[in-house]
Amino acid sequence: SSGAKMRRTVPRGTLRKIIKKEKPQLRLAANTDLLVHLSFLLFLHRLAEEARTNAFLDKSKMIKPDHALAAGKVIKPFKS
Amino acid sequence: PLQSLQAKLAAKSSGASHRRPRETGIVSSWVKKVFSHYAKMPVTRDAFRIVEKCSERYFKQLSNDLEAYANHAGRKTVEMADLEVLLRRQGLVTDKVPVQVLIEHHLPLEYRKLLIPMAVSGNKVIPCQ
Repeated sequence: SSGAKMRRTVPRGTLRKIIKKEKPQLRLAANTDLLVHLSFLLFLHRLAEEARTNAFLDKSKMIKPDHALAAGKVIKPFKS
Repeated sequence: PLQSLQAKLAAKSSGASHRRPRETGIVSSWVKKVFSHYAKMPVTRDAFRIVEKCSERYFKQLSNDLEAYANHAGRKTVEMADLEVLLRRQGLVTDKVPVQVLIEHHLPLEYRKLLIPMAVSGNKVIPCQ
Protein backbone atom coordinates (compact mmCIF):
# COMPACT_ATOMS: atom_id res chain seq x y z
CA SER A 1 0.00 0.00 0.00
CA SER A 2 2.86 2.42 0.67
CA GLY A 3 3.67 3.54 -2.85
CA ALA A 4 6.03 2.54 -5.58
CA LYS A 5 8.31 5.57 -5.85
CA MET A 6 10.05 4.98 -2.57
CA ARG A 7 12.98 2.65 -2.54
CA ARG A 8 11.68 -0.27 -0.59
CA THR A 9 14.86 -2.00 0.45
CA VAL A 10 15.65 -1.93 4.13
CA PRO A 11 19.02 -0.49 5.12
CA ARG A 12 19.58 -3.42 7.43
CA GLY A 13 23.24 -2.85 8.17
CA THR A 14 22.56 0.78 8.95
CA LEU A 15 19.74 -0.07 11.32
CA ARG A 16 21.92 -2.52 13.17
CA LYS A 17 24.68 0.06 13.39
CA ILE A 18 22.34 2.65 14.82
CA ILE A 19 21.25 0.31 17.59
CA LYS A 20 24.80 -0.90 18.12
CA LYS A 21 25.85 2.69 18.66
CA GLU A 22 23.19 3.13 21.35
CA LYS A 23 23.61 -0.29 22.95
CA PRO A 24 26.93 -1.91 22.10
CA GLN A 25 26.19 -4.97 24.24
CA LEU A 26 22.78 -5.66 22.82
CA ARG A 27 22.44 -8.35 20.16
CA LEU A 28 19.66 -8.61 17.66
CA ALA A 29 18.28 -12.01 16.72
CA ALA A 30 17.88 -12.81 13.04
CA ASN A 31 15.44 -10.57 11.17
CA THR A 32 14.46 -8.53 14.21
CA ASP A 33 15.95 -5.54 12.40
CA LEU A 34 13.18 -5.88 9.83
CA LEU A 35 10.59 -5.20 12.51
CA VAL A 36 12.66 -2.30 13.80
CA HIS A 37 12.50 -0.96 10.29
CA LEU A 38 8.77 -1.53 10.17
CA SER A 39 8.17 0.37 13.37
CA PHE A 40 10.37 3.22 12.18
CA LEU A 41 8.54 3.39 8.85
CA LEU A 42 5.24 3.67 10.64
CA PHE A 43 6.66 6.27 13.00
CA LEU A 44 7.74 8.40 10.04
CA HIS A 45 4.35 7.81 8.49
CA ARG A 46 2.55 9.15 11.55
CA LEU A 47 4.96 12.04 11.81
CA ALA A 48 4.48 12.97 8.15
CA GLU A 49 0.68 12.77 8.34
CA GLU A 50 0.64 14.96 11.42
CA ALA A 51 3.06 17.48 9.92
CA ARG A 52 0.98 17.54 6.76
CA THR A 53 -2.17 18.24 8.73
CA ASN A 54 -0.40 21.06 10.54
CA ALA A 55 0.69 22.56 7.23
CA PHE A 56 -2.87 22.38 5.92
CA LEU A 57 -4.27 24.04 9.04
CA ASP A 58 -1.63 26.72 8.59
CA LYS A 59 -2.69 27.13 4.93
CA SER A 60 0.88 26.39 3.97
CA LYS A 61 1.80 24.58 0.78
CA MET A 62 4.91 23.08 2.29
CA ILE A 63 5.89 21.50 5.54
CA LYS A 64 7.86 24.01 7.59
CA PRO A 65 9.93 23.41 10.72
CA ASP A 66 7.09 24.44 13.04
CA HIS A 67 4.77 21.91 11.45
CA ALA A 68 7.30 19.14 11.93
CA LEU A 69 8.11 20.30 15.44
CA ALA A 70 4.49 20.28 16.52
CA ALA A 71 4.06 16.87 14.91
CA GLY A 72 7.08 15.56 16.79
CA LYS A 73 5.53 16.66 20.05
CA VAL A 74 2.30 14.82 19.34
CA ILE A 75 3.84 11.70 17.82
CA LYS A 76 5.93 10.48 20.71
CA PRO A 77 7.98 7.43 19.86
CA PHE A 78 6.04 5.46 22.43
CA LYS A 79 2.84 5.93 24.29
CA SER A 80 3.58 5.46 27.94
CA PRO B 1 44.58 16.52 -4.90
CA LEU B 2 46.66 14.10 -2.85
CA GLN B 3 47.07 16.66 -0.12
CA SER B 4 43.36 17.35 0.06
CA LEU B 5 42.71 13.64 0.24
CA GLN B 6 45.15 13.33 3.12
CA ALA B 7 43.48 16.26 4.83
CA LYS B 8 40.16 14.57 4.37
CA LEU B 9 41.42 11.31 5.82
CA ALA B 10 42.97 13.16 8.74
CA ALA B 11 39.70 14.94 9.40
CA LYS B 12 37.90 11.64 9.30
CA SER B 13 40.12 10.02 11.85
CA SER B 14 40.04 13.03 14.18
CA GLY B 15 37.38 13.89 16.71
CA ALA B 16 34.96 15.09 14.07
CA SER B 17 34.27 11.54 13.01
CA HIS B 18 33.07 10.67 16.48
CA ARG B 19 30.31 13.20 16.31
CA ARG B 20 29.40 12.50 12.73
CA PRO B 21 29.92 8.87 11.76
CA ARG B 22 29.62 7.85 8.15
CA GLU B 23 26.15 6.37 8.63
CA THR B 24 24.65 9.74 9.49
CA GLY B 25 24.59 10.72 5.83
CA ILE B 26 22.96 7.49 4.75
CA VAL B 27 20.42 7.69 7.53
CA SER B 28 19.50 11.29 6.83
CA SER B 29 18.99 10.77 3.11
CA TRP B 30 16.94 7.66 3.79
CA VAL B 31 14.82 9.44 6.42
CA LYS B 32 14.37 12.30 3.99
CA LYS B 33 13.19 9.99 1.24
CA VAL B 34 10.73 8.09 3.40
CA PHE B 35 9.36 11.22 5.06
CA SER B 36 8.81 13.11 1.83
CA HIS B 37 7.14 10.05 0.38
CA TYR B 38 4.62 10.05 3.20
CA ALA B 39 4.33 13.83 3.39
CA LYS B 40 3.17 14.13 -0.24
CA MET B 41 4.05 17.80 -0.21
CA PRO B 42 7.24 19.86 -0.26
CA VAL B 43 9.26 19.88 2.95
CA THR B 44 11.70 22.66 3.80
CA ARG B 45 15.29 21.86 4.59
CA ASP B 46 14.91 22.96 8.20
CA ALA B 47 11.81 20.83 8.60
CA PHE B 48 13.87 17.83 7.48
CA ARG B 49 16.36 18.62 10.19
CA ILE B 50 13.57 18.48 12.76
CA VAL B 51 12.46 15.13 11.34
CA GLU B 52 16.02 13.86 11.64
CA LYS B 53 16.16 14.96 15.25
CA CYS B 54 12.90 13.17 15.93
CA SER B 55 14.30 10.06 14.28
CA GLU B 56 17.41 10.15 16.44
CA ARG B 57 15.26 10.43 19.52
CA TYR B 58 13.14 7.61 18.22
CA PHE B 59 16.07 5.23 17.85
CA LYS B 60 17.42 6.19 21.24
CA GLN B 61 14.12 5.35 22.88
CA LEU B 62 13.74 2.20 20.82
CA SER B 63 17.17 0.94 21.84
CA ASN B 64 16.45 1.62 25.49
CA ASP B 65 13.17 -0.21 25.32
CA LEU B 66 14.52 -3.22 23.46
CA GLU B 67 17.31 -3.52 25.99
CA ALA B 68 14.82 -3.34 28.83
CA TYR B 69 12.60 -6.03 27.30
CA ALA B 70 15.50 -8.36 26.66
CA ASN B 71 16.96 -7.80 30.13
CA HIS B 72 13.58 -8.37 31.65
CA ALA B 73 13.46 -11.77 30.00
CA GLY B 74 17.01 -12.45 31.17
CA ARG B 75 18.46 -12.31 27.66
CA LYS B 76 21.24 -10.41 25.99
CA THR B 77 19.67 -10.85 22.58
CA VAL B 78 16.61 -9.06 21.31
CA GLU B 79 14.13 -11.64 20.05
CA MET B 80 11.10 -11.34 17.79
CA ALA B 81 8.85 -11.46 20.85
CA ASP B 82 10.47 -8.24 22.12
CA LEU B 83 9.74 -6.53 18.83
CA GLU B 84 6.14 -7.62 19.03
CA VAL B 85 5.84 -6.15 22.51
CA LEU B 86 7.40 -2.96 21.19
CA LEU B 87 4.99 -2.68 18.25
CA ARG B 88 2.13 -3.34 20.61
CA ARG B 89 3.24 -0.62 22.98
CA GLN B 90 3.52 1.76 20.07
CA GLY B 91 -0.11 1.01 19.36
CA LEU B 92 0.79 -0.39 15.95
CA VAL B 93 -0.05 -3.98 16.77
CA THR B 94 -3.47 -4.46 18.33
CA ASP B 95 -5.90 -7.31 18.72
CA LYS B 96 -7.45 -6.25 15.42
CA VAL B 97 -4.15 -5.64 13.66
CA PRO B 98 -1.74 -8.50 14.23
CA VAL B 99 1.92 -8.09 13.39
CA GLN B 100 1.51 -10.23 10.26
CA VAL B 101 -0.88 -7.70 8.77
CA LEU B 102 1.57 -4.86 9.32
CA ILE B 103 4.32 -6.90 7.73
CA GLU B 104 2.18 -7.72 4.73
CA HIS B 105 1.19 -4.11 4.24
CA HIS B 106 4.50 -2.42 4.70
CA LEU B 107 7.38 -4.70 3.85
CA PRO B 108 8.41 -5.89 0.40
CA LEU B 109 7.95 -9.54 -0.43
CA GLU B 110 11.60 -10.46 0.00
CA TYR B 111 11.40 -9.46 3.66
CA ARG B 112 7.91 -10.75 4.23
CA LYS B 113 9.21 -14.14 3.27
CA LEU B 114 11.73 -13.94 6.08
CA LEU B 115 9.18 -12.96 8.71
CA ILE B 116 5.90 -14.66 8.04
CA PRO B 117 5.88 -18.36 8.71
CA MET B 118 5.10 -20.22 5.57
CA ALA B 119 5.72 -23.59 4.20
CA VAL B 120 8.53 -23.57 1.70
CA SER B 121 9.84 -26.36 -0.45
CA GLY B 122 11.07 -29.37 1.47
CA ASN B 123 8.35 -28.93 4.06
CA LYS B 124 10.52 -26.46 5.91
CA VAL B 125 8.87 -23.69 7.88
CA ILE B 126 10.56 -20.37 8.37
CA PRO B 127 9.61 -19.41 11.90
CA CYS B 128 8.33 -16.02 12.88
CA GLN B 129 8.57 -16.11 16.66
